[in-house]
Amino acid sequence: MPILEVKELKAYYITEKYGRLYRVKAVDGVSFQVNKDEIYGIAGESGCGKSTLLKAVSGLLKPPLQVLEGEVIYNFGDDVLNILSLKDDKQRRQVRGARISHIPQGSMSVLNPVRRIKKAFQDLIRAHLGSMERSRFEEMVKKHLDALGLDWSIMQAFPHQLSGGMRQRLTIALATILKPDIIFADEPTTALDVVVQRGVVQLIKKIKKEQQNTLIMVTHDLAIHANLCDRLAIMYAGKIVEEADVDVIFNQPQHPYTLMLLKSLPKLGDKSIRVSAPGAPPSLIHTPSGCRFHPRCPEATAHCRRENPELLELEKGHRVACFLKGGC
Amino acid sequence: MVFKKYFIPRFIQYITVLLIGITMVFIIPRLLPSDPVEHQLNRMTAQGQYLDPAAVEEMRETLQELYGLKGGLFQQYLIYWKRLCTGNLGPSFTQFPTPVIELIKTSLPWTVGLLLVSLMLSWLIGTILGGIKVSFPNSLLTRFMEVFAMGMRPIPYYIMALVLLIVLAFVFPVFPMAGGYSMGAEIGFNFKFLLDLLRHAFLPILSMVMLEIGGWFLQMRNVASNIVEEDYVVYAEASGLPRRKVILHYIMRNALIPQITGLALNLGFIFGGALITEIVFSYPGIGNLLYSAILAGDYNLIMGINIFSIVGVSTAMLVIDLIYPLLDPRVRYQ
Repeated sequence: MPILEVKELKAYYITEKYGRLYRVKAVDGVSFQVNKDEIYGIAGESGCGKSTLLKAVSGLLKPPLQVLEGEVIYNFGDDVLNILSLKDDKQRRQVRGARISHIPQGSMSVLNPVRRIKKAFQDLIRAHLGSMERSRFEEMVKKHLDALGLDWSIMQAFPHQLSGGMRQRLTIALATILKPDIIFADEPTTALDVVVQRGVVQLIKKIKKEQQNTLIMVTHDLAIHANLCDRLAIMYAGKIVEEADVDVIFNQPQHPYTLMLLKSLPKLGDKSIRVSAPGAPPSLIHTPSGCRFHPRCPEATAHCRRENPELLELEKGHRVACFLKGGC
Repeated sequence: MVFKKYFIPRFIQYITVLLIGITMVFIIPRLLPSDPVEHQLNRMTAQGQYLDPAAVEEMRETLQELYGLKGGLFQQYLIYWKRLCTGNLGPSFTQFPTPVIELIKTSLPWTVGLLLVSLMLSWLIGTILGGIKVSFPNSLLTRFMEVFAMGMRPIPYYIMALVLLIVLAFVFPVFPMAGGYSMGAEIGFNFKFLLDLLRHAFLPILSMVMLEIGGWFLQMRNVASNIVEEDYVVYAEASGLPRRKVILHYIMRNALIPQITGLALNLGFIFGGALITEIVFSYPGIGNLLYSAILAGDYNLIMGINIFSIVGVSTAMLVIDLIYPLLDPRVRYQ
């Protein structure tokens, strides 16, 4: 039994302007499973619905974002939970932060600018474990910070006094202090320089190993995926177009979009000019008919323009949504 | 030490603004073509009395000294400052020889009482409702408030004040028409007088609160609705913090910063008086005093009120600067 199962999830941003409805189909029929203790990667260009998928999966639904269809089922071993069907917002809050947690993008604005770092830890721990003695709280945080190689003195700092890399490590500390079952990492390395990126990736790896949690890694950076993930899903315009083990994706990509992505990556020692994918990602309001990739696909046929290919298993553990690769 | 470094430049700036402002108050009346001493003398001779030229000359000198118009410009300027430092703003022309400072002293408590109460009320209600609006966008109270605020904003203040006065004091005489207290009432600290005071202040305060509340509400709503979108609020939600905590410590706490700046600035403006309010409701405050001073060309009085206003606004600015680092740690005592 997988720890997270997403079935046919459709999450749209629905807004009304001058009496006209606009539906941004950010997540449009996505299904996948994540097994316990694995690192699952989700890759795709900006604006393909990666972050929306994360929001919907963790039940962070605020208008205009709405889930129209689908189920998200968590199986924590002792507790099976369908997060979207929970009526009570309180129950969702209890799960978020404690059993599923987020590592957000480490930009300036993730931590409350007017509160000290210590308060962020206090808020989180009080919300999930109730109030506790000061000494116990300090001991708990200290132990965790030590394990992450962070100094206790930053607890007195305000967010703006810390560097980007420091803030990112802090958000990792915040996300993991309660030993969650699942961690969602949303572009944790964006806006950091490569040296700091390496540190962050290693830190995530280390914690994952110690706490034995499941990690879902969302980033557009394929290098990070290659480095970290066990399995990888490629998203395009609100849909998963290919999913397989990381080695398989990088060595035997099947979907034309995956091929294009990989072709654009530089390789050590190879000095030929890299080709980027032609065109731009489609608007999620007016999505193309048929296969969403067909306007940019070099091999598109008339069939591709009319019908939408389903995500089908090509061989064990390798799913592709393309008519040219045995889809129907 | 750090505080000193932060405080001293701002204090110097404060003093500079005061110096320039008060100097302007000194210069501008002196650019006018009319001479208040001649004006006063003309008024006396116009009454038809015969005055001995020597006596006129003597009177001219006395008046010049009283008005601080004796000697060259620089000498006048020095005397002006010397008088200011001893709290002497000169005599009022129209209510000669009452000193200006006395007139201001009797009017100021009325104005400050009126404006302080209406400002605090409208600020508190507007800010709280604005915060509620953003936290619970569908609540009936705040939806009504939004329509109310939008509808009230375009109404010119004097029209609303007059309508209130006509409806609640003339057509249905619930409240008195004019004044700060009933004619012949004994001024003292007792229940009866306080009630009388409240009854008289009610309409002016109501008129100001009704109009200002919308401004505070809209400002709070706009700032807070931007903050709701901020990453730290989304992240707080994602960490499963209780809704109350997110609203109070993440949304409201951050949205309050510009709100408090606005409040402090408006507190400074109190010393200028509320001109229209005080005229419409015949309230015995600074605004009314200024109005009659302008009509009568009593510019010692005008200058005195201006000085109060300048000191009020710049002190408010200094206070904002000093408390800002406490509100927003990103602005540090440096």
